[in-house]
Amino acid sequence: MSDDKISPASAPAPAAPQKHRDPLALIVRFQSLIGLVLVAIGGIIFSPRRHGEILFLNPDNIANIVRAVSETGIIAIGMTFVIITAGIDLSVGAVLGLSSVVTASMMISGGFGLIPTILAVLALGIVFGAIQGTISTRFRLEPFIVTLAGLQAARGLALVVSGNQYINISYGDGPGLAPPVFAVLGERLFNNTVPVATLVFVVFAAVATIVLNTTRFGRYVFAVGGNERAARISGVPVSMVKIAVYAITGFAAALAGIVHAGQFNFGSANDGMGYELTAIAAVVIGGTSLFGGAGSMVGTVAGTIMLGALANILQLNNITPAMQLLATAAIIVLAAVLQSLVRRREGLGR
Amino acid sequence: MTAPLLVMTGAVKRFGGVQALRGVDFDLKAGEIHALLGENGAGKSTLMNLLSGVYTPDEGTIEIDGKPVRFNNPREAQAAGIATIFQELDLVPSLDVAANLFLGRELMRPGGFLDVPAMRREAKKRLEAIEIAIDPAAMVADLSIGQRQVVAIVKALSYASRVLIMDEPTAALTVGEVERLFDIMRKLAATGVGIVYISHRLEEVPGIADRVTVMRDGRVAGITEPHAPQAELVRLLVGRPLDELYPARIKAAGKPLLSLKNASFKLARDSAGWQAPQGVSVDVHEGEIVGLAGIMGAGRTELLSALYGTGLSGRWEGEVAISGKPVKLDSISAARHAGIAFVTDDRRGSGLMLRMAVGLNLVMSVISRISPNWLVSPHRQAEAVKESFGQFDIRPKNPDIAVGALSGGNQQKVVLAKEILGNPRLLLLDEPTRGVDVGAKGEIYARLRALAAQGLGILVASSEMPELIGLCDRIVVLRQGRNVAEFMGGVDEHTVLAAANGREA
Amino acid sequence: MKTIKRASTLKAVLLAGAGLCIAGSAYAAEPLVKACAKDGQFIIGFSQANNAEPYRQHVNDELEAAVKEVPGFTLQIADGAGNVNTQTSQVDNFITQKVDILLISPFEAAPLTPAVKRAMDAGIPVIELDRKTVGDPGKDYTAFIGGDNFKIAEEAGKYTAKTLLPDGGEAAVLQGLPSSTPAVERLNGFKEGVKGNPKVQIVAEQAADWVPDKAQVAFAAMLQAHPDIKVLYASNDMMAAGALLAAKGAGKDVKIIGTDGLPGPAGGIEAVAKGDWVATFTYPTGAKEAIEMSKKILLDCATEVDKTVTVETTAITAENAKQLMGK
Repeated sequence: MSDDKISPASAPAPAAPQKHRDPLALIVRFQSLIGLVLVAIGGIIFSPRRHGEILFLNPDNIANIVRAVSETGIIAIGMTFVIITAGIDLSVGAVLGLSSVVTASMMISGGFGLIPTILAVLALGIVFGAIQGTISTRFRLEPFIVTLAGLQAARGLALVVSGNQYINISYGDGPGLAPPVFAVLGERLFNNTVPVATLVFVVFAAVATIVLNTTRFGRYVFAVGGNERAARISGVPVSMVKIAVYAITGFAAALAGIVHAGQFNFGSANDGMGYELTAIAAVVIGGTSLFGGAGSMVGTVAGTIMLGALANILQLNNITPAMQLLATAAIIVLAAVLQSLVRRREGLGR
Repeated sequence: MTAPLLVMTGAVKRFGGVQALRGVDFDLKAGEIHALLGENGAGKSTLMNLLSGVYTPDEGTIEIDGKPVRFNNPREAQAAGIATIFQELDLVPSLDVAANLFLGRELMRPGGFLDVPAMRREAKKRLEAIEIAIDPAAMVADLSIGQRQVVAIVKALSYASRVLIMDEPTAALTVGEVERLFDIMRKLAATGVGIVYISHRLEEVPGIADRVTVMRDGRVAGITEPHAPQAELVRLLVGRPLDELYPARIKAAGKPLLSLKNASFKLARDSAGWQAPQGVSVDVHEGEIVGLAGIMGAGRTELLSALYGTGLSGRWEGEVAISGKPVKLDSISAARHAGIAFVTDDRRGSGLMLRMAVGLNLVMSVISRISPNWLVSPHRQAEAVKESFGQFDIRPKNPDIAVGALSGGNQQKVVLAKEILGNPRLLLLDEPTRGVDVGAKGEIYARLRALAAQGLGILVASSEMPELIGLCDRIVVLRQGRNVAEFMGGVDEHTVLAAANGREA
Repeated sequence: MKTIKRASTLKAVLLAGAGLCIAGSAYAAEPLVKACAKDGQFIIGFSQANNAEPYRQHVNDELEAAVKEVPGFTLQIADGAGNVNTQTSQVDNFITQKVDILLISPFEAAPLTPAVKRAMDAGIPVIELDRKTVGDPGKDYTAFIGGDNFKIAEEAGKYTAKTLLPDGGEAAVLQGLPSSTPAVERLNGFKEGVKGNPKVQIVAEQAADWVPDKAQVAFAAMLQAHPDIKVLYASNDMMAAGALLAAKGAGKDVKIIGTDGLPGPAGGIEAVAKGDWVATFTYPTGAKEAIEMSKKILLDCATEVDKTVTVETTAITAENAKQLMGK
């Protein structure tokens, strides 16, 4: 037979090495982990010290970092599914606000118990997301537009539910009070070391990793993002998959909203403003392609923590918020450039 | 013909450790059509990219009119009179023809306003100069692929080109369009333009080329006359004599599989340019390969996609049966349920997930089979991948690399293998060897015949007449959505063409 | 760590510029911060709610100016960016750094309460500036310094009822970001203030989220619907500036009242001096007071400080605006 090779003309790619991998592709695959390690090393080097102790590595400080990112992390996990299908969900921050308001008002003014409240709020998130997914697939609308509308709708609903007020959550036994166990979301377990919000994030990330990497559904998600038309022709239920991923982001945003209400004893329509952009940044830094078809949960988790660690070390050194924004911007651009380089090496981009 | 217009001597180009060109000599005379043949990876695209300034050679020289030149980018090559028409035409579909022709060099009125009438007039003049009737005000998106090709040529020539490089210009054209393109090329050559013509289609070479250069493994394998026997060209291309390109037919046709009797596809909404099947009667038996011939727009692709439910929405009327039982083919799931599989003519656009690994692509149509209990079984996946690699000689033999990095032929093998894995009873193929080199073609034909021998029915649409004639047991000719003639395989090409064009042979 | 045992509930006792100490007495006269020293080096961490608001930038500027006067003090400002989660993690970071005093303007009360508690538990005195968390000063946090949103807006309401519209008429309100604490308090305060004159009617109230562009749009619409609006109460200066554009656009002479009384060319004091607005009610930053209190705790080893310092609002009207501009 002909000695087929990768056409070196189409792209200056290495010529079909049997086992050899492009080092650049490897870097991108693990870019967020590498970034996390670099930020951690930088954190250790530049950390302020007190009596020789490196503040950055102080267990309390580590707990601060992973707690602070848990809400955006949960959202980023959901967002990873959507972005792998080459979609986007801008409504997540607003759905977080809606969920925190509904959580607070169900328990405080509605007199509902903890379990019914949590189940109802999670169901609300799923339904909200599924509606957005259905509108997007049924009318072939860009998810950008549909979820932009969803963002407005969720903020509006949150204001309606809250009656333009914020709702404080007080604890106790009786009407108008939330069960005290709910406040555990703002606490730390295991000898006051592990924030509960972080535990929720980690468990959700683990489940999501398993779903994405080992289930039929996960495979469908990659297929839809890899090439929607090809997936359809191969018999993948494309519309169902798309609706499902938006339901997942809705679920994630609702879960984050519950965690928010529990951590801050509070529900406000303004909660979670701008979280969608932080989550998207974490996903992209995690190596998931906005073009769809490629991505990793581990990357998203690492990207999330990396952004949190970066903000932490900058603040510990009293560096201005302006610099924090600029540093984040530089990292996003770097991540995107690395991805684009790999695409070009694969001869797929230009 | 006179002194060479362009001479390339001892060109070497390396990409990392890979030597794409290993010392190539090439020359082009004014007014000459010089065909450049080679399998994928033979180096012809690299050679083209050196001439058009995309890459600079590591060693060797390029001379124009005897003067050495060095291009650092495509702009410099253009300035020297070398224009290139790439396979993916660089036209903007949402602009009209005139706007595309003047893109970046718009004619202006005083005050910075576009002079649209002047551009349209000038565009019309240029199109008429090569006797082409395309409305300069038409949107490029509304033009056929063939018409777009012509626009791209006119655009390239408007840079006052002396050398025109065409990369597989006929890949997406119908027979009639190819003839018209060749006419234009001959006219251009007569005005003194030198044309480098890159193609996969051996059979086109004698009709158009003055000279043929065959490349293999980054070297020139030979320079021959265009009328050299095809076997000789194939030997140069592949490096050894190739046995018969088309496998022997096996009389194995069994029971009727697909039968369409006076079947029409009624569109939910009228759509211009989509030739829905109109009263088609076609049978495909088990073990039989049936070809669909016809000019562009005759409804070949539309018939296949209507059967598979991927085209426009609508419903079938008339008799549509699989194995004698009437079926309602209105969706992809209905078609798959009936045991139908489909391979599109656009493997990059709708066949493959290019960035994903070969293995993941292969199992795409059998995800449910490899994921009992909704969990993907790595073991079953590995078995399925192994089965595919057994069916088709996919190179490199590595399921973990991105499918987009494979050559066209190997990509096509992946698409086919993917659908075969699903154990279909009827396989619908649209242009199964478009952009595939000769070696891979032969292998694909052999596999298709072997699969048919096991009882698979195949319905294949192609614009390459020799492919239909060589591969198929029967050829059904479509015109305006209906079947107008039927021939046995091996029929004379002119007979089929005449039927396709509605003429007497 | 010292705790003040008697948690006296304080009704704000108002004295211009400074608070009156009526803090409960304590058993042990231990200083609030053990490491206090006349010539020590101290870090003051300030957790700001949201730098993007001009008023808060103004607070930062005043704090920086006040800290410069004290040789041993270093100020670190963290921007909560209007996000309770961010602000919580920044407070936690200050705790990790072991700042010597935490100043905080919580973006929202309840959400920042646990973080403030963690700081107190870690032995860091917490002075709350402008906004409070849940709990009592002297117990759940060291002290509160700030204005009283409700009272300031009530003053504006009274001014409207008595001075601007003694014979009654239509008034309108531009509210801040709905469901944010100061927006709610200022809305309710103003309504309370105008109650004294039943002939004053509030015909429209709209949220403009503290920003001038939304205020302009909202007030233009109000003037369409109610052409007879005589007085507009804007819950901050920026919205008052937006409303002025709308009034000019509609060719109406509306008496505009701002809130905050920010200095500088874009601020309310100058707008009143120019005669564009009739008044603005200052919302004092309390920055000077906060640094004074920090000095007491860190340099003078104070054993107790005032639990609540309410800095009074000043009504800025045509009479005093020009004079205040120079300051």
